[in-house]
Amino acid sequence: MELTVLGVSFGVLLLIGVPVGFAVGLSSVATIIAAGIPVAVVFQKMVGGMQVFSFLAIPFFIFAGELMLHGGIAERIVRFANSLVGHVRGGLGMSNVLGCTLFGGVAGSPVADVSAMGSVMIPLMKKEGYDTDYAVNVTTHASLVGALMPTSHNLILYTLATAGIASVSVLGMIMACIVPAVLLTVLNLLAAYGVAIKRGYPTRGAFSGWGEVGNSFVAALPGLLVVGIILTGILTGVFTATESAATAVLWALIITGLVYRSLSWSDFIKSCAKACKTTGVVLFLIGISNAFGYFLAMYSVPERTGDLMSTVTQTPWMIFLMINVVLFLLGTFLDMAPTLLICTPIFLPIAQKFGMDPSQFGVLMLINCALGLNTPPVGTTQFVGCAIGGISVGEVMRSIWPFYGALLACLALVTYVPAFSLWLPNLILH
Amino acid sequence: MYTRFCATLSKLSLMLAVAGLIVLIACVQYQVIGRYVFNDTPTWAEALALLLVLYITALGVAVGVRDAGHIGMDSIISLLPESMRLKLEIIIHILVGTFGALMAYNGYIWAVLKWNDQKPMLAIPSSMDYVPLVIAGVLVVLFTIEHVIALIQGKEVVPAWN
Amino acid sequence: TEFKSADIHNSDDYPTVTAVKFMSDELKKATGGKDTIKVFNKGALGTEKETIDQVKIGALDMVRVNISPMNSVCAKTNIPVLPFLFRSVDHLHKVLDGPIGEEIAKDCESAGFVLLAYYDSGSRSIYSKKPVKSVADTKGMKIRVQQSDLWVAVAGAMGANPTPMPAGEVLTALKTGLVDAAENNYPSYGSGFRHFEAAKYYNKTEHSMAPEVLLFSKVIFDKLSKTEQDQIRAAAKASVPFNRQAWAAYEKKEYDMVKAAGTEFVEVDKKSFQDVMAPVYDKFANTPDLKRLVKAVQDTK
Ligand code: NA
Ligand code: NA
Repeated sequence: MELTVLGVSFGVLLLIGVPVGFAVGLSSVATIIAAGIPVAVVFQKMVGGMQVFSFLAIPFFIFAGELMLHGGIAERIVRFANSLVGHVRGGLGMSNVLGCTLFGGVAGSPVADVSAMGSVMIPLMKKEGYDTDYAVNVTTHASLVGALMPTSHNLILYTLATAGIASVSVLGMIMACIVPAVLLTVLNLLAAYGVAIKRGYPTRGAFSGWGEVGNSFVAALPGLLVVGIILTGILTGVFTATESAATAVLWALIITGLVYRSLSWSDFIKSCAKACKTTGVVLFLIGISNAFGYFLAMYSVPERTGDLMSTVTQTPWMIFLMINVVLFLLGTFLDMAPTLLICTPIFLPIAQKFGMDPSQFGVLMLINCALGLNTPPVGTTQFVGCAIGGISVGEVMRSIWPFYGALLACLALVTYVPAFSLWLPNLILH
Repeated sequence: MYTRFCATLSKLSLMLAVAGLIVLIACVQYQVIGRYVFNDTPTWAEALALLLVLYITALGVAVGVRDAGHIGMDSIISLLPESMRLKLEIIIHILVGTFGALMAYNGYIWAVLKWNDQKPMLAIPSSMDYVPLVIAGVLVVLFTIEHVIALIQGKEVVPAWN
Repeated sequence: TEFKSADIHNSDDYPTVTAVKFMSDELKKATGGKDTIKVFNKGALGTEKETIDQVKIGALDMVRVNISPMNSVCAKTNIPVLPFLFRSVDHLHKVLDGPIGEEIAKDCESAGFVLLAYYDSGSRSIYSKKPVKSVADTKGMKIRVQQSDLWVAVAGAMGANPTPMPAGEVLTALKTGLVDAAENNYPSYGSGFRHFEAAKYYNKTEHSMAPEVLLFSKVIFDKLSKTEQDQIRAAAKASVPFNRQAWAAYEKKEYDMVKAAGTEFVEVDKKSFQDVMAPVYDKFANTPDLKRLVKAVQDTK
């Protein structure tokens, strides 16, 4: 009964267009009233869901991303990527993929990535004669790799969501994501190249030489070093994950403000203000998802779902396929944070029962959620990409298949070949 | 008049949030310095950082409501005829405002209940964890009222700052 | 009625989880199937502090927590947490089963909680990468403590650098050297958080024996009939010996496991630690009432 209230009210609110966070909140209130529990508990869970030390990394990564966007790090990364692959057929598309991936390493989330790289690359590609749908699809898909790169706040969310089920360290997850991130980048490059060949996009001059590669790399290096700082900081025990995120902000500030001198006072204030707004939206979603999760636990949804799946099949690959399908469907209308927080406790125990490692499952979750970011009706990175390109979601969807193909191929490999996610962490951490 | 009041309030909220964000980073950096330079970890730093995040979020959520920063599905709305769309948008704002009111009320209840309970590591009442709910709730209510008025008058709410 | 009871321990055979399930069986028998208890472990309903607040407002029937997070709610619960107060597990049991345990329960009742039972949690010791033989060895050591003022004060009194941190981050912190040591009981050091993988020396400081408590919401309890209240109290009481036995077996199993994994156990000069604890007592046993209780515990033979 209470679960029906939860499902129906959430569905209706979402459908009429209530913002996701408020839809989750209002349906939680409706459910708790139906259950006869004091409404105050919803708000307790909401505050509790935000007061987690590791989550402090979230505003930091968001802030660092804003500073890099407004402080010229994004442009330098584009120049470096361009010097490498700009001359290949559809080269701007491929340098877009590389640029997004590299920037994904320094930005906290795919949305930050697409807003930074997209605002540089999409207009540039349009000017050079690429179709807008191609420009948008390349950017939005390349930026999804950001969810798997070290400074991903979604990765931290996942490790938190596993609490009580399995112990997954932030460091372990970072390691588990690296090979799949490289894999997805390669697949993205192939998709971008394939479409460019098929549409006959022009080549753009000759290779500018290793001198330009070197110069542009040196220019981009200070920005890219953020990843190195975070990784060495955590690996050597100098910082916790949260402290390294705060250090990333400081580093971004020093690079853009003092080294590049490309961050003006008004850019700085703009970055701060934008970071606060985004933090509010993201952490609110995280907090309120915690209330949602409270009901799922109280009504034993994870156990029931597990039992249901087990009655359908006992074959591991079928179970994993089912999990992927359900996650994809949820991802179509849920944002990354709520999907991670709500679905991890439901599906991780099942996946574990059928022999999947929690880190591998984490990579699977992140890729699935990333897929959802580019799937209507609620696809955050897709929205941003379309807004920058000035194109409708429908038009973008018509030519999205090669890029979905890359994502799905990556997802399948991660799901069925554990080595992709487990080889590196086993090598380094054991 | 009311719009100008809300715009000022929104700008002020965002400025406070920015100040909070800067203090937050200082807190976490100071913790690192304390641990290595003085070999004396400031135990209040983390607790204060966790508290500040609540206030930044509260202010950010509210400004997000005013600046239409929260993401929802708009496929249904865009299919409706103009007059229906207006009504539905008003309903959405009323629903968001209702949640804001609940947030404020329940935040107040918890704040009262936790008044005599001290927060570990910081010598302040645990109520301070719930005050952000009151702040966010009140601001959300004010900003949704502004949106409803603007919709009825056929105007648009413009972000006050950046 | 099916009462809901929260617990944060992950393992389904953790002695506090099984004890409440045992209590449920007893209650079911006593009430002819009318009342049972459903345990939500793994922190499904929230953290210890959150579930305590839920019990207080009557949103949740029962909760099993360590007594430490109750310290800010009712003052007398500070007593069993104080460092180096109990001489042995038997001493602890005698105190909790006697008038002092009763008095602490009364204090909780006035704060909105019916304290049904004290469960075992063993003793906590410091584990580290270098052996700790006396208080001189903890000087300047970065010791992870729980996020509470009392634990910061205890580590501070040892001359260490207390570093509060959530439990989930401790293993990484020990591995990378962010902290040099942490402190907990055998099951947490063992399969609970697997800290033995990163800290080889288990120094038997046995500095605290803070017990676990089982609490019932007073708001809900007061609405039950006298018979039902008595049945609940009796079932809870019956679960205590069950828990103590289960705890002893569980602790032994964990001890054997970490021993096989190569843990070195270090005998500690406890007196050297006791001697520096005065500031902690001055700060946390600071009222005449609490001072009297400390004395009463020390005098319990
Ligand atoms: Na990233
Ligand atoms: Na989606």
